[in-house]
Amino acid sequence: MLISAHTDPATRPGPWNQDPGWGRPVGQPLNALFAQMERMVLSMQDPDQGVKMGGQRLLITVIPHAVTGNDIVEWLIQKYCISEEEALHLGLLLLRHGYLYPLRAPCSLVLQLDGTLYRFQTPYFWTSTLWLATELDYAIYLAKKNMQKQGALANHEKEHYDQLHRKIGHTWDLVVMQAREQLRAAKQRKKGDRLVIACQEQTYWLVNRPPPGVPSVLEQGPERGACIVTRGQMTKNMDFYKWEIEYCRKALGRIRVKSSVCLEAYLKFSSQHGPHDPITSGCLPSNPWITDDDTYWAMNTSSVAVPTKLRVERWGFSFRELLEDPVGRAHFMDFLRKEFSAENLSFWEACEELRHGGQAQVPALADSVYQQFLAPGAARWVNIDSQTMELTLEGLCRPHRYVLDDAQMHIYMLMKKDSYPRFLKSDVYKALQAEAVIPPETKRRVFPFVWRPRHSSPRPALLPASASASASGDTAAAAHGPGGGDGEA
Amino acid sequence: MVREECKALLDALNKATACYHHLVLTVGGSADSQNLREELQKTRQKAQELAVATGSLLTTALRDKHLDAEERSEFQRLWVAFSGCLELLEADMQRALTLGTAFPLHAPRRPLVRTGVSGRSASVAARALSVRSLRHDAEPDFDVEDLRKLEREILQVGKMIHDMEMKVNVPRWTVQARQAAGAELLSSAGASTAGFLSVEERTGRCDLSKALAATVFSAVLLAAIALAVCVAKLS
Repeated sequence: MLISAHTDPATRPGPWNQDPGWGRPVGQPLNALFAQMERMVLSMQDPDQGVKMGGQRLLITVIPHAVTGNDIVEWLIQKYCISEEEALHLGLLLLRHGYLYPLRAPCSLVLQLDGTLYRFQTPYFWTSTLWLATELDYAIYLAKKNMQKQGALANHEKEHYDQLHRKIGHTWDLVVMQAREQLRAAKQRKKGDRLVIACQEQTYWLVNRPPPGVPSVLEQGPERGACIVTRGQMTKNMDFYKWEIEYCRKALGRIRVKSSVCLEAYLKFSSQHGPHDPITSGCLPSNPWITDDDTYWAMNTSSVAVPTKLRVERWGFSFRELLEDPVGRAHFMDFLRKEFSAENLSFWEACEELRHGGQAQVPALADSVYQQFLAPGAARWVNIDSQTMELTLEGLCRPHRYVLDDAQMHIYMLMKKDSYPRFLKSDVYKALQAEAVIPPETKRRVFPFVWRPRHSSPRPALLPASASASASGDTAAAAHGPGGGDGEA
Repeated sequence: MVREECKALLDALNKATACYHHLVLTVGGSADSQNLREELQKTRQKAQELAVATGSLLTTALRDKHLDAEERSEFQRLWVAFSGCLELLEADMQRALTLGTAFPLHAPRRPLVRTGVSGRSASVAARALSVRSLRHDAEPDFDVEDLRKLEREILQVGKMIHDMEMKVNVPRWTVQARQAAGAELLSSAGASTAGFLSVEERTGRCDLSKALAATVFSAVLLAAIALAVCVAKLS
């Protein structure tokens, strides 16, 4: 009896109604609790050893199976050998979780020890299997109630009703239809049964959508997950707190970017890259996946004589963009040669080669890089600060593929801070921008040319002139700009 | 034409779903019996038949490209109601399965919960099936087999919902329901009040109503005696 174990009077503060946790053991999953309560309810149903039941007299009809609060408490005391106080609490729990409901005042969930009548909830409305009430169900229930009471819903119900209408308004036809039909179906039953079912439904919704001011027993609460975590941490010792202090200290020192700054940067990035996104802004001359025309790819191969305007623009975004593009890197190299600092870029390239090269060549490569760039009096000596140099030299005794990372980063930053801005301002870059092509949009071909791809591609031997032209067209098109492809067609 | 047919089918499905809901309510309660299980089975099968018919009609209608805008919106409205109905049906079928397994009628019998419902529910099922009365003709232990069948049928309904969503694309947020909030009050005010006592109203008036009943009875009795005397004197 886990429930009763918890209800030991010593641990329970105050009178029943002000019990803060509504009597639920902490850390126990709701489902296990429901299963226990259901077992209890079922054992109350036993014809011989169950709770005594009487009838409820109404005007003419007598509805069977009503129990008094007294009988329930007595039964609990006998069955589980517990004190009266505890039995009362247990009964109250059953009541609050909707396994029992009072016949007289449905909203007051109090277990009274006089002759007040209660009745058991039908298993359909048991909370256990956690058929969490859907909004549609609740809307149907409210619509039904609205109909029965001629629109006189309680305030909070009216509020819920309006909310639901806003939320699932698209299916309101169904709500009204179902509500009407369910009421009509109910009329097929005996009057007593009808009343009972109405009460059951009301009880279910009182538990699932409690009126304001009544704590919900189904509430899992945010503290539930948190309290398990804290309990796990409570077992930690001094080391744990030391670690936590250290962690907090680090967190204090960490640089935080204001969200406004962050968002601004994001906006800038988006506006910068917007035109470069073929999905949002399309691509010139035409999307090869749609038009079957591969000029776009031909113009954007990794090594092309005249890059497109967009591509040249990209080099201005960041240093990495420039280095990642082979054409861009080549132009940058030319520029550095004029400045007599080409060895920096060569060193960076050599380092890249070492990083991504084969494992077998690592020692040889590392050695050659050292001889070429780092050794005192080397032919293409690069300028590295003494600290990094020391570290690198230490590492070079036992070379691995990342041994030059520090030095490479140093040079990279040097180029980024120094040469790159000068490159962007230089005439070389401006000339590149001026030269770069903006491919004109491919026009839709008129009828006869629709057949062109079929003729040109499969059998070059049959069509020597045009086929060879189109085969070399890729490079030619790139060289002459997009006019080449179109003109040839 | 198709629209009226759809509407009629949907109404029937709606009715069957509502009746099914009402029947499932009492499973595991004091009114649970072999008969109830059989009624459940019949209602559910009827509902499924209707669902299949409605579904195929609506699908073909909505996939028709030449539908004009007004017709389309009308069909979409029907479609939303239909899919909601199917969801209700599926949920109730699942509950019926859980309850049916938890409260087997045979072998390891568990005590049923005494809920106070005692009447028969054949008329509810008869309403769903649109027949006058219902015959009970199942074998005594059909319910074990029926649970297995029910499980399969739940899967079928789930698949049907899925298929419908795949075949027809109705953006629900664009659908405008015809009924406004509180619409249920307007037309059915007379229908609903007739048989339904308010839950709170009947509570707490036991003595008063008893007195009322006694008065009515005595009045009737007096009238009867007077009549009898009259008859005796005249003859």
